[in-house]
Formats: sequence, structure tokens, C-alpha cells
Amino acid sequence: MVLRLIIAMAVFASWTAPVAGSVPVAEPAPVATRPELGAARISVPDPAGLPPVKVQDLHYGDVLFHFYSRDHFDALVRLSAYQEQGYLKPHARDAELLRGGLYLSLGQHREAREIFERLLADTSTPAPIRDRAWFYLGKVLYASGQFEQSERALRAVTAGLPIELESERRLLIAQGLMYRGQFDAAIAELDGWQGPDRWTAYGKFNLGVALVRDGRVERGHAMLEQVGLLETTDPELLSLRDKANLALGYALLQAGQPAAARIALDRVRLQGPQANKALLGAGWADAASGDYQQALVPWAELHGRDLLDAAVQESYLAVPYAYAELSAIGQAVGYYEQAIEAYDAERARIEESIGAIRAGRLLTAALNADSGTRPDWFAQLTNLPDAPESRYLYHLLAGHEFQEGLKTYRSLEAMSQNLGGWATSLGAFSDMIETRKSAFAAKLPAADNRLATVDVADINRRRDELRARLETALHDRDVTALATDREREWLSMLAGVEAELATHPGDASFDDAREKARLARGVVIWNLDAAWKTRLWRAQRAMRELDAAVYDARTRQAASVKARQGAPERAAALAVRVDAVSPRVADLAVRVEAAKAAQGRRLADIAINELEQQRSRLDEYSVQARYAIATIYDRASAGAP
Amino acid sequence: MRAWMKATVVPAIMLLSLATSRADEPPPPPAPERSALDAEVQQLRREVVDLNRDLFMLEEDLLFPASTQIAVFVSMDVGTFFDLDAVQIRIDGKEVANYLYTAREREALLRGGVQRVWLGNMKAGEHELVAFFTGQGTHQRDYKRGTTLTVEKGVGAKYVELRISDRLRKLQPEFVVRVWE
Repeated sequence: MVLRLIIAMAVFASWTAPVAGSVPVAEPAPVATRPELGAARISVPDPAGLPPVKVQDLHYGDVLFHFYSRDHFDALVRLSAYQEQGYLKPHARDAELLRGGLYLSLGQHREAREIFERLLADTSTPAPIRDRAWFYLGKVLYASGQFEQSERALRAVTAGLPIELESERRLLIAQGLMYRGQFDAAIAELDGWQGPDRWTAYGKFNLGVALVRDGRVERGHAMLEQVGLLETTDPELLSLRDKANLALGYALLQAGQPAAARIALDRVRLQGPQANKALLGAGWADAASGDYQQALVPWAELHGRDLLDAAVQESYLAVPYAYAELSAIGQAVGYYEQAIEAYDAERARIEESIGAIRAGRLLTAALNADSGTRPDWFAQLTNLPDAPESRYLYHLLAGHEFQEGLKTYRSLEAMSQNLGGWATSLGAFSDMIETRKSAFAAKLPAADNRLATVDVADINRRRDELRARLETALHDRDVTALATDREREWLSMLAGVEAELATHPGDASFDDAREKARLARGVVIWNLDAAWKTRLWRAQRAMRELDAAVYDARTRQAASVKARQGAPERAAALAVRVDAVSPRVADLAVRVEAAKAAQGRRLADIAINELEQQRSRLDEYSVQARYAIATIYDRASAGAP
Repeated sequence: MRAWMKATVVPAIMLLSLATSRADEPPPPPAPERSALDAEVQQLRREVVDLNRDLFMLEEDLLFPASTQIAVFVSMDVGTFFDLDAVQIRIDGKEVANYLYTAREREALLRGGVQRVWLGNMKAGEHELVAFFTGQGTHQRDYKRGTTLTVEKGVGAKYVELRISDRLRKLQPEFVVRVWE
């Protein structure tokens, strides 16, 4: 019984680490996949967690578009480029906060940390942005295992965060405390806390674990039971419920309550990732109650499952153990022999897989199997061919270290493709610059000729003359200056008549003609005077339009001259930039390929190491089974009961 | 016999617990050679981001110099009366962009993102820009609307925002064009 308690304690300790990795990331749905502990536990900065902002710069909106589309690399590139180009000024601090978040989402913790610290060092940073910067800084520190500093940063939030971020903040603090063994403080942080439903469920789970670890077993059990009885169809909460029931089941087993443990373990879904562990525990609960017949039910169910699972391997020893307890020695021996055969066969398959992995066939299979984005990769793996290199992928991909390593490999692959694309583009850029230079040289003579025919200075001079005439007319109120051609004709004709009449000053026979001429001139002048205001307004408007046209012509001419003079300089400057950037692309491509190869080797090492561990465990189990058989035979031959 | 059986099973169970505990514990400190590779990957990622930034600017300067540049952006505010499927842009009668939206991109627009749907070049002077929005209106009815704008292109870059918003009074979407300098 003591030994069984030790078992339960060890198992419980392993099941009940805080579910940091299971904390809902702040990304919006889908939420089915939650990362395990490690770097992946850092959630992507929540779009809803950005301070609400009215877009005042279209380029910032463009960055947000890529960010909300979850194209984080492109969002970061655009953000950095737009900042460099002098855009985004109305959103300077929001953009910095976002840049930090984007680096964080790419796993660039150093850059993210520097940005958040810079924002916090700036006293003029507004409170909502400060709070978010503290929050994300806390997450960066948490991800790097600096729990104390992380807690300090998370507690520095003063003005409050949106409810989702606030919930995550509180859970991160509690989890950090649990990792440091400060269960009492973690309990104080979580006790009575109520957040959104999903977060509350995680809070209760962690609280239950902390209470059990702190020795307050009964309350801890009650808390885990609350999570274990959740009514939900949400896949994420179903998974949490399974974890809670598993933890509770083993805790109750540890507390010597096998019947209650069985009830909790029975609540774990038969097809979930916790199912095998639950079945194994259920058998142990029955065995602890002395009901070995009943214990055979869950253990026999495990017998038909994938032998690479530790719980299944265990069941191959547990079943004959139960038969032995039931004094069915013949069946016990039979099952031990079956176990030895199964272990040996599995061992041979592992050897074959190790060989295939050493031959470098793992990566292709892993990359094909795990797209890195599909949440249903576990389901897809069930359709994998039974090739040596892909046979154990399910187990490898389920491991945090391999998953993280594969993610890094994918990221290197993406970098390699990105650099390859740019290398091609740069070649096209160089060609384009050369083509432009040739086209420019070919068009230059014709363009020069056209430019030479336009004398903007002459146009300018004539416009100035016209303006001077208008100003003089306005000053002298010279209504005749705005006369129409016809009126000018009349005035000219009248001037001729008046000149003729002047040659006969004393002749009374011309008096009538003189009077008519005077009258005619009066009419013309009267009409001119009446039209003066309208004509003046029109003339002034025409003058303004002329000014604008002359200005436009001058500007265009200047632009043409500038373009004519600047084009070769611009082309040369662009060529210099292309030449400068090309070696960077080439150098990075070489380094990325080297890192990719190293990462591939690392993945193979992880896989081989994992399989070797499995192999040595199988060896050990095999030895135990053989030893058990030998002992049974020895005792039988010695006539032992 | 019974006690012995327990003794054989127990170490195995202990192994099981050790084997499965790893995923739930904080990650172990990386080995030195792992650290070096991780640091190199981090450095590479940083350099690739910086390089992409420089190349993004170089490409724009080369292909779309500010003197001739025109960019068309699409934004959306509430989106209650219109579910956007596609946008088509024509400049002076010539189709220059035809963009189909994914659900994620629609969501990005609704969250406040502004998509640069087209970046191109234009000579100085007057140009006609026509945008067609295709999608579903109220009651899941197919909906297509066009909007026209005469753009006066000067010597600097020109930005045109096509904004889809809800006209509450008429329970219909509204397509507003705004020119930014």
C-alpha cells in the first residue's frame, strides 16, 4: 500500500504542474490548440488588447490589417519600414507597443523586451500604453523563466487592462509563484477570483493544484472537482476538464480514496490525450480496492492501444499482475510472454525508425505531417503511412521540445524562401535600373528639344506686362482699357470723326454732327462705365487663372529639369542600394541554410534520444517480464502457493 | 508473490510518471550548443526582418517613386449591412486590382485594419478611379455597388481611401471615398 502511495504521489506531482501552457492565449478563436510549457506558452499579443485607436494614418491601418490577419512577419516589416519612412507619427507609441508585441510573437524576446523597457522609460508614455507595456514585458520575462522579475512587471500595471489581459495577468502571476514553490501566495492570488468563464476554469484548476501542493488537500480536491464537473462542449475546456479529473483521480488515490478516485478517472474522455493515463489510474483504483477482476477492464482496454504510450506499456505488465493477484498463474504467464513479444517487436520497430531518422528521412515526414498551422495535426497523423521515419511522429510531435524545434526549423525554412525570393527580385531590380538608364539616354535628346521650345521666362514677362496694364487701368479707372474690340472700333471711329470736325471749328453747319458725335461718345463711355465692374472682376479672375497656369508651367518645367538632371543620380543611388543589399541577402542565405542544417540535426537528435529512451524502457520492462516469469516458474517448481 | 508483483510493477509506474512529467515542468536550461544555435536563429530572424524592411523601402522607391505614386486603401467601420467579398479597382477604364477577401481579412478590416489594396503609378493630371464592391447586403442578398472619383494627381504621392460604412437611416451600406495627401 505504501508503494502504491508513492506511485500516486509521483504521478500526481507530474499531472498537477500549473497549467501555464493551457492558459488561453489571448488570440481570438480558434482556441482548440493551446501550447504546452516553454516558449510557446507566450500568447500572441491580443489584437483586442491594443489600446482602441482611430486610424489617423492609412499606413498604420495597413500594419493593423496585416496584424489582425495574423500575418505577423509582414506586419512587422511594414511597421518598421513605415516608421523609417516617417509615417505613423500620429500613432508613434501605439506603433512601438505593437512592434514590441510583434517581436514577442515571433519569439524575439530580446527585441521585445528592449522596446517595452524603452516605452516604460519614457515618462510621457500614456498610462494605457504603459500598462500594456508592463504586461507584455511581464510575459517576456515569464517566457524566459525569470518569474520574480516577471511578477514585478505584471504587478506594475496600475490603471487596469481589458478583462482578457487582466485575467491572463493574474494567472501568469499565480503560475510564476507556483513554479517558485510559493503555493501559499499563489492561493492568495487565485482564491475567490472570478474572471471570464474560461479563465475562471483555469484559475480554479491552478488553485486546486496549489492547494493540494500546499497540503490543503480537501479544499484542493473540491476545487479540482468543480473543474472536473464542468458542463461544456468547448474542446479546450473539455481538455481542461480531463486534466482536472486525472489530477483529482491520482490525488484521491494518493489520499487512500480509491473509490472516489475511480469516479473522477471515469469522467476522463476515452479518446482524449489523457485517456490512457486515466485508464491506467482507473485500474490502479480498482486494484487498490482489492477488485483485480474489475481492474482488468481498463487495463485490458489499454492493451489494444499504441504500445509507444507509457501507460499502454505499463498495462502489459499490469494485466498479468492482476491475473497473478487473482491466482490465475497460467494466464499471468501467458500475458507476460505476450508482453515480452510485444516489447521486442516494438523495440525492433524503434531500431528501424532510428535508422531511418539517422538516414535523414525524418524531416520530410515531420514537415509533411505538421503544417505548423493546422490545429488538427493529431487527427491527420492517424493517416500517416507506417513508414519507419513517420511511425513515431505522433509521439515526437506531442513532445514540447520537438514541437518547438520543428517550429524553429519551419521559421528557418520560411526565411530561406523569403531570401530566395528577394535574390530573384534583386536581379530583376538591377535589370530594371539598367533598362531605365538606357531608355532615359534614348529619350533625352527629344526631351531636351521639347524643353528648349518652352520659354517660361518670356511667358512670365508677358504675364507681368498684362498685370501692369490692368493695375494702371484700375488706378486711373480707365474704362476704355477693358473695352471690347467692337467698342474700340467705335471709339476709334469717333476719334476720326472728332478729328475731322476739329478741322472746321467755326462752321455752324457741323454743329449737328458735333452734337451727334458727342452723344455717340457719351453712349459708348456710358456703356463702358456700366460694364466696368463686371469686366474688372472678370479681368482679375482671368489674371488669377493666368497666374496659376504660369505657376503650373514653371513648376512643371522645374520638375522636368530636375527630373532630367536627377534621373541619372536617382538611378545611380538605387543601383548603389541594390548593390549594397545583395551581399546581405547572399550572406544571410548561407547562414540560414547552415542553421537549418544544424536545426535538422538537432531535431533528429531529439527524436533519436526520445526513441532510445523508449527503447531502454522497453528493455527494462522486458527484463521485468522475464524475471516475473522466471520467478513464477521457480515458485511453482518449489511448490509455493 | 503478491508483494513481489507490486515490486516489479512499481518501478515501471515510477518511470511512467517521470516520462510523462516532462511536458508539465518548466523547460530545462538549454545545453550550450543548443543555446548557441538558438541565439544564431534569433540573430538571423532579426537580420531578416531588418533586411526585409530595407528591401520593402527599396522596392517602393524603385517601382513606385513618390512623384508618381498612388495608393488605394480599403477600410470598413461597422459592416452590419454589408459583408465584403471582393473589391475591383479601375483607373481610367483599366482594371488594376481585383481582390477577393478571406474571412480572416474581412475580420481584420472590421477590427480597424486598413488594407492597401493597390499601389501603382500615375502621371500628373486628372484620372478617373472606379471601385466596385461585391458582397452580401442585408438579408443575404447579393450586392454590388460602384463608386467613382476623379483624382487630380499632382507631383507628390496620393492616397485614396475607400471606406465602407453603415448608413443607419437607410439600413444600407455606404461607400465613401476620401483622398489623403
